[in-house]
Amino acid sequence: MSDPKRQPLDDRVLAWMREGRWEQDDGRFRALALQSFSFQFEHCLPYRRFCEARGTTPSSINDWREVPAVPAGAFKEVALRSFPTELTHHTFRTSGTSGVRRGELHLDTLSLYEASLLPAIRRLLFPDLAEGQRCRIIVMTPSPAEAPDSSLSHMFGCMLEALGTKDSRFCLKPIHLLEAATEPLALCGTASAFAHLLDSATPLRLPSGSRVMETGGFKGHERTLSRDELYASIDEKLGIPESRIVNQYGMTELGSQFYDSVLREPERPRRKLAPPWVRVRVIDPHSGRDAAPGEPGIITIHDLANTGSVSAIETADLGQASEEDGFEILGREPGAEERGCSIAADVMLGT
Amino acid sequence: MSVDDIREARARLAAAGSALEDRPRQRTVDAFATLLEAWRSPDSVWQKRLVDLLPGAAGFETGTVREGLLRALEHWSGDALREIVSRELGSIDANAKGFAQTSVLLAGSIPMPTITSLMAPLLLHSPVLAKPASRDPVTAHLFAESLREIDPELGAAIEIVRFAHDDPACAGAFFDADCVVATGSDETVAAVADHVRSNTHLVRHGHRMSISVVRPEHAEATALDVALWDQQGCLSPVAAYCEADQAEPFAQALAEALEEIERRLPRGELPTPAAAAIRRETGEAEMRRAAGIDVSIRGDEALRWTVVREADANWRPAPLHRFVRVHPIEGLDHLLRALEPVARHLAGIASDRPRQDLAPLGAARICKPGSLQAPPLAWHHDGQPLLAPLLR
Repeated sequence: MSDPKRQPLDDRVLAWMREGRWEQDDGRFRALALQSFSFQFEHCLPYRRFCEARGTTPSSINDWREVPAVPAGAFKEVALRSFPTELTHHTFRTSGTSGVRRGELHLDTLSLYEASLLPAIRRLLFPDLAEGQRCRIIVMTPSPAEAPDSSLSHMFGCMLEALGTKDSRFCLKPIHLLEAATEPLALCGTASAFAHLLDSATPLRLPSGSRVMETGGFKGHERTLSRDELYASIDEKLGIPESRIVNQYGMTELGSQFYDSVLREPERPRRKLAPPWVRVRVIDPHSGRDAAPGEPGIITIHDLANTGSVSAIETADLGQASEEDGFEILGREPGAEERGCSIAADVMLGT
Repeated sequence: MSVDDIREARARLAAAGSALEDRPRQRTVDAFATLLEAWRSPDSVWQKRLVDLLPGAAGFETGTVREGLLRALEHWSGDALREIVSRELGSIDANAKGFAQTSVLLAGSIPMPTITSLMAPLLLHSPVLAKPASRDPVTAHLFAESLREIDPELGAAIEIVRFAHDDPACAGAFFDADCVVATGSDETVAAVADHVRSNTHLVRHGHRMSISVVRPEHAEATALDVALWDQQGCLSPVAAYCEADQAEPFAQALAEALEEIERRLPRGELPTPAAAAIRRETGEAEMRRAAGIDVSIRGDEALRWTVVREADANWRPAPLHRFVRVHPIEGLDHLLRALEPVARHLAGIASDRPRQDLAPLGAARICKPGSLQAPPLAWHHDGQPLLAPLLR
């Protein structure tokens, strides 16, 4: 149950998520984004001060693009709640090694989070599943019970419950399950989990119609593969072609996630697609304005699923907008290796 | 460049190495002394060419390169070289040898480390196969050209090769050497270690950074240390530490000094990832301030410089390109404790505090504010001697 003061706003956002339509509606988005901003400005004091320092208040803007975006790193240092602390129901934390501060997303309800994730999964990861149909899903992460503060595990838990067959499961070393598989399945996990799996796997061919969903980076794995190398290895070792590998882009700080378009629109270029209640902008860091399609910039996300924290978030990732819709991730600080000596401390401190 | 090109270069170096076997080292040292004198002169044609070519390749403003070279090369004399060789080898004529060939992987965009990295193996008569950094494709070629002009025999013992960083065949041929000098990020150096033969002598130069421990009167000098090479070098200070009551006055004075120096030595190109990092770190500082933490932020919309005065001495990411954090400290013990997590990465400290106060931090260079970017020829960025690590 969310903060009663926010319930009317949450209800309107939830209604959109549950309609089952995947239609852009600029007017609806604008209205809800501005209402969210007003609410968060009023109920999240650090965010209010942040906005005021930038000269922005709810009465000074009429375009959601003017809502100040908080850097994702701020979630490591400041509790960005738009509800009273005592109503905190769940806290997701970013991954991190000991000694490194972890970002925290505090929630007073999981309803928006869960309502937002399933439509995107259905549409972009399982576009071929008929209504009511399920798929065997194997997830190479800890389960939600094992990692209660992992938003990724929670998301996979929701996915298994809503779309998985009875023999779906969390399994960190699933090679025996894969070797015995006779029906199409979805194999999901972090890029690092796939790298570990592929290191030890002898080549096999998963049943036709299987798919892979990978997300995140290579934390904990001794070597980093390029996306091309990873996909080539998945093809070689598991028999899943690149056209059936979906990358998910998500962040603990966000209620919604983004998926590659390849299964939904196989004839069009691979790009990330967002649910209608999310807007993604690519901001040119030199000018602070929207970068032209194809030009690199900071991925900035306005997610209506974040009513309980802050909706506008500036990520630490660079990307580029596609010509028509969607966006591509370019990664974090490409070329940093070639730069001066000091960058290493940044990297080595895991910041 | 193909694998065959690299192998052919190796074959030429093998022939050049044979010619150096019986060469008296005195002749070699004299040749490099002549080369350094030719480079350090304010009228040097080599400096002029570097000033002409490096800005386009590395993104620096011409004035920054000119002033950076003048200051850095000023004390790199022939006599300084003779003194280093004598000190490290016992005498110039000592029977000290380098490896049959040395592959040198260069990094970054600052010319001086490139010059010393190429010169050191050659002083030991070890021919050099060098791969320039993508952001400085100029210095290594100019160095080789000047060497050929001064001493053709030595000049034949250096080959410059270029290949894509993800070309494993070329990388294999490049690293197939008795000795490899690898400069770069720690990740790059670790990757090189995976590439080389088990019996290859690997000299590692990972990343380093510098800091300033200063008072408000050091603001102009600190601005110069920051502005030269746009914080792209390991001797560029990324953070300044002041006694708590002086931190805010220093931040104000540093902001004014950076604004002033921008007119004389404008910041160079700001790559998009760096601009994004500056926006991000500034935004996070704004958020800390909004949460009631005592932080001050100074800068301009064009991101020409940024000064963030933090509330504590905790280490934070360094976006570079004239982004400086000012940290308050409560005495020397506090400073030493605060820097403990990063001390192993410290290359230099600019301060007028007694050297023994800062010695526990292990920085290879401790100097007065304003002179960080003019290290002596003998200095190497991770404290290693110039020649000793390359001896067979």
